[in-house]
Parts: sequence; structure tokens; C-alpha cells
Amino acid sequence: MTLVNWSRKRSIWVFLVNAASCNGCDIEILASLTPRYDAERLGVQLVGSPRHADVLLVTGTVNPMMKETLKKVYEQMPDPKLVVAVGACALGGGVMKGCYNVGHGIDKVIPVNLFIPGCPPRPEAILYGIMKLVGEEPKGKAPDRKPDQIG
Amino acid sequence: MQYSPENMVPFGPVHPALKEPEYFKLILEGEKIVEVIPRIGYVHRGIERAAQDRTWIKNVYLFERICGICSFAHSIAYTQAIENLLQFEIPRRARYIRLIIAELERIHSHLLWLGLVGYWTGFDTLFMWIWKDREHVLDLVETITGNRIHKSYSTISGVRRDLPDNIGEPLRKEMKYIEERSEYYKSLVSSEETLVIRTRGIGRINQDIVRKLCPVGPLLRCTGIARDVRVEDPYAAYDEIIPDVKTSNDGDIASLLLLRIEEVKESCRLVLEAFEKIPSGPVKLSAPRSVPKGEAIFHVEAPRGELFYFVRSPGGTIPDRVKIRTPTMANLLTATEMLKGHTLADVPVVLTGMDPCFGCMDRVSIVELDKSKQWAIRGEELRQFGIDWYKQRRSKT
Amino acid sequence: MISKFRKSTVITVSPDHAKETCQLIVTELPEFYHLSTITGVDDDPSITLYYHFWQGGDFLSVKTGVPKTNPVIPSLIDVLPSAILYEAEVKDLLGVIFQGNPLMDRRLLLPDNYPLEAPPPLRKEADPEKIRKMMELE
Repeated sequence: MTLVNWSRKRSIWVFLVNAASCNGCDIEILASLTPRYDAERLGVQLVGSPRHADVLLVTGTVNPMMKETLKKVYEQMPDPKLVVAVGACALGGGVMKGCYNVGHGIDKVIPVNLFIPGCPPRPEAILYGIMKLVGEEPKGKAPDRKPDQIG
Repeated sequence: MQYSPENMVPFGPVHPALKEPEYFKLILEGEKIVEVIPRIGYVHRGIERAAQDRTWIKNVYLFERICGICSFAHSIAYTQAIENLLQFEIPRRARYIRLIIAELERIHSHLLWLGLVGYWTGFDTLFMWIWKDREHVLDLVETITGNRIHKSYSTISGVRRDLPDNIGEPLRKEMKYIEERSEYYKSLVSSEETLVIRTRGIGRINQDIVRKLCPVGPLLRCTGIARDVRVEDPYAAYDEIIPDVKTSNDGDIASLLLLRIEEVKESCRLVLEAFEKIPSGPVKLSAPRSVPKGEAIFHVEAPRGELFYFVRSPGGTIPDRVKIRTPTMANLLTATEMLKGHTLADVPVVLTGMDPCFGCMDRVSIVELDKSKQWAIRGEELRQFGIDWYKQRRSKT
Repeated sequence: MISKFRKSTVITVSPDHAKETCQLIVTELPEFYHLSTITGVDDDPSITLYYHFWQGGDFLSVKTGVPKTNPVIPSLIDVLPSAILYEAEVKDLLGVIFQGNPLMDRRLLLPDNYPLEAPPPLRKEADPEKIRKMMELE
């Protein structure tokens, strides 16, 4: 692979869009940046504008009010861009499926490259997903926590 | 809204210049905000209608997912409303366990909020430290209930699982750790200049505004009025483990910071007291599937305030109407009142101060009255604007 | 240990007297100033409205009903300004018009492209499937 592609894998800038979610997936994404899970050691950083981002993280069921916003944010991102749908609501409506104001999945609005299931997915799962997205094979195993190993 | 005709800019919900709907429309005169018009509905999913198609127990899983941060509060409010309708007495041990998890959730929610205040004021280190400490609390919650966020732990007639056997020691150790760290954060927020200059005197409310607009939760208690659903209308085990209601007197964001840290310490004490006094016995009984005809009201003290549930049953397995009023809705008017008279740089801190629970405060639209200009700004840009504005002010003095 | 099954006192009035009753509650019993919320329920052929007040003990609810064919009732905002958002929510979801409330011509919760010919979503004749098709949500 070229040098540019290799360096892209180690510097993934993400932009987060909350399209009508309960905030559960959002706080797990933010928790993956904090010192316990530390996404920055993998080069993942949260940016404030879609024009600086490589990967778009979308959570939530898509409301009719948020549909246009989501499309606009997708168009503002420069190429090459990837989209990750985080959580069961973004996959296909989740537990709200059938309600009158929700869409059944983000892939009906913008093209999606990766789905991360869970309600909400753990921060480790989110990091695993982002690494798989760029083609890295994650190594190691999460510890099995018992009550005497807390902290 | 009384403005002279030359200053008034008529803005309807749909306007040819607006390409996207806005969250908060701020009307500025010079640099000061004079009016705030919120537009909510971005997270409206139609849950109350969906509840009318599902059975009583399935609705527990639906209502938990209204909010990820206070999900246990929703689930105990709903299950206790149904237990009221059934005239069902749940075991004592289950009441104590519900108290323990509810208080752990309050600690996690307040720490999350504190970290976000640090983030919005540009103090990223505080955000990282507090969220790392919050992981200790989430570990405890995960060991007891099985999940970090949506616990699905409370059910009609009790809780689903008992406490694990050797949870006593980690619980004591972690609560002691959180108490020590809270003391440290308390001294930090009162002395660190970045935070003090952006929170002291900002967003003042007083008791008259409170009487008119009826806010709930810490926003009410920061003006000195000591009202708390846990003390006035006890549920779970709060009639035996009585919380001490904390208040602070200034009504600004700095006093909200101190108030929430005090509440974290009080919750640590309640958790330990409940654990020492917990009785033995079953945690769950078997409840009937069909609920008799009637209506029930229940409210609990979620981390953000009073969470209100109204349940009506036609006599059967499916509810007729469930009405939910979240604390953010009750606090919205007070928050818009808090913003008036301040500048644009204070907007992120004041809106975070009311601890909103809808999406992210992502898009703000600003109308400048004297220039009749209208432009939209994103939350991140507003955050950077606020940080730069205060940095400039500090370098001038 | 207290085992308390919460009861709430319900006062049923006609829609013309609802505002006066609430005003009496707020002035004569000043501890009840906290309006928790306003609930609306669709009971064919009328819509029942509950105003829930709380003072620190049991709830006090004022219950009234408006006919579905003409769901109009005076607004409560000059008595209690906090009622403005609750009334706007009932208007969005059930179609009850509160006279005097400035938010009646604006949508609070429903999206801007909610179809005008569809009934408000919490009414019994509203079908989520049909509403989804009308809003073009797959």
C-alpha cells in the first residue's frame, strides 16, 4: 500500500452526528475518547466540523427533521469518506421500529460502510469497529471483570 | 415581545432564507441576547403512541430508551406506577436495591455533566479526569446489573437479579474514592480561573422567576428552595434512608456546579447507608399480567429533576395512555430566561447548565436585530467562540 | 415502614370553569403553585384533559373534557406562565386549541413535514403505518 494510505489508517478524524437518539450511543462514543479506553492512541480524534473529518459516526433513528441535516453533513465531507452507523437504532430502528416518526435505518438516507450493533455498544466495540473499517486487525482481549477486580 | 416596529424581524417556522430548522433562535440587540425561541422536536420519536401497542412488560424496555443517561429513573417510575395500579407490595430488599442503583445513576449523571461543563469552557483536562473517575461507577453498575447504560434491571414486582455476593468491598472502596475526588473537584471549580470567570454571575435566576416558571431539580434548588421528590413524596426505600436536600443560594452556574458536587457526595453516603442496612429476602415476586382498570400517577427524582408518569389502564394487558413529562421540558423556559441579558459567548455554558437531555445542543441560529441579519452557527463553533472571547477578555485585564 | 399507594384527588369540572378552578387553586392554596403537567387522553367522543398540581404530598388533578368536534378551551398562561409548553404539546399531539396561547400556530414536537390531512398522532383514528407512508419514511 502507498505511504499515504498507511498514514491515513493511523489518523482517523471522526465527526459525530446525533440523529434523534437517546444519547446512550453518544456517551459511549465520548467515553471511548477518555483515558480508560483512549481512542487517541489509535489516532482517532473528534473534530468540530464535517469539513475536517474522515469518518462520519451516526447514531439514532433518523427523524424527518434530521434527514436533511444528515444529507447535508454527508455532502460537506471531503473525499475519501466513510460512514459508520452506531447502535441498534441506526441499524434498523431498534426498539422504536414502527413508530410514526422514525426511519428504519440510516442506510436508507446515506450510504453506510460499517454497522456496529448494540444498545448501546461498548466503547471497546466502537474502537474495534473503527479499526476494522480501515483494515486493521485488532489484537488482544478485553478483561473479564469480576467484583474483586473493579477499579 | 415588545419591540418597536423597525426592530422587529418577523420570523415564522418556515422562511425562504432558512435552509435548515434551528434549535434555538437567539435574537440579539448589539451584543446582548434579548429573546430566545427554542424549537424542540428533533428527538420526537412517537414513543407515547408506541406504548399503546405493547404489553405492560414490553413497555419497560421501550421507556428505558427514552434517555440514555437517566434510563433507570424512567424504568422505576413506570414500574412503580403499575405496582400502584395493581396495589402490589414489593419486597423490602428490592426497594433498597432500587435505591442503590438510582443513586449510582445520579452520581454517574452528575459526573458526566461536570465533565461536559469542563469541555464547553475549554477545560479539556477536567473532562478527561472526571470521565475517567466516572468509569469506576459504571464498573460497579455493570457488576450489579449487567450493563452500563440501559440496565433493564427493574421489573414489575421488584428487580430482576439480586446483588452479587462479594460486592461490599468494591462498593465501599469506590464510594470512598468518588468522595475524595469530589472534594478535589469542589476546590478546583471554586479556584480555577477559567471556570470561575465563566460561571460566576452568569445566568442568575431568583425565587420570583421560579414561582412563575416552575422548574424542577437542581435548577430549582440552586435558588435556595429545598424541594426534592425523594423527601416530600418518598418512594423505593427513601422513607427509611432519608436524603439530606442540598441547596445553594446564588442562582448562577457557579452555584449549580457546587450544588451538583454536593449531591454526588450525598449520594455516595446514601449508597453506603443503604448497603449496610439492606434486609434479606426475595427480590422479586410474581405479578399478574393483567392490570385492573384505573389511573396512576408517579413521579421520581431523576438526576435532572422531577420525572412524571401518568398511566391509565382500561383493564387488560395493554395500556390505554402513558404520559411522560421529562424534567428538561419543565426547565426549558427557565433556561431561556437565564440566557437573556448575556452575550453569545455565554450561551454554551448556560445551556449546559440546565443539563439538557435532548440530542446535542447542536445548532443555534442567531438573529441580529439592528442589522436585520440572520445566520446559523453550530455548537462546536459556538464553543470555540466562547473560549476565544474569554481568552481575549482575560488578556486585556 | 410506610407502604403508600399514591392517590390523587380529582376534581371534575366543565371546560368553561377549568381556568377559574386552576386560578382558585393557585391563589387560595399557594403551596400548590407547581403545575407538573397537562395530560390529554382521547376518549371518543371527547378529549379528556387533566391539569396536575403538586404541593408536596398527594397530587391534585383538575379533570375536564372537550368535544372532539370542537376542541377549544381557554388557555392557562395568564394564571401560570409555565403552562405554555404543556399546552403546545397537547395541541400538537391531540389537536386541542388553547385560546390565548401564542404557540398555537407553530409546531412544537411534530416535524415540519407532518402531513396536514393526517389526524394528530395520539387520536384513536391515527394509524402510524399510514402516517409513515404519507411522510415517505421507508
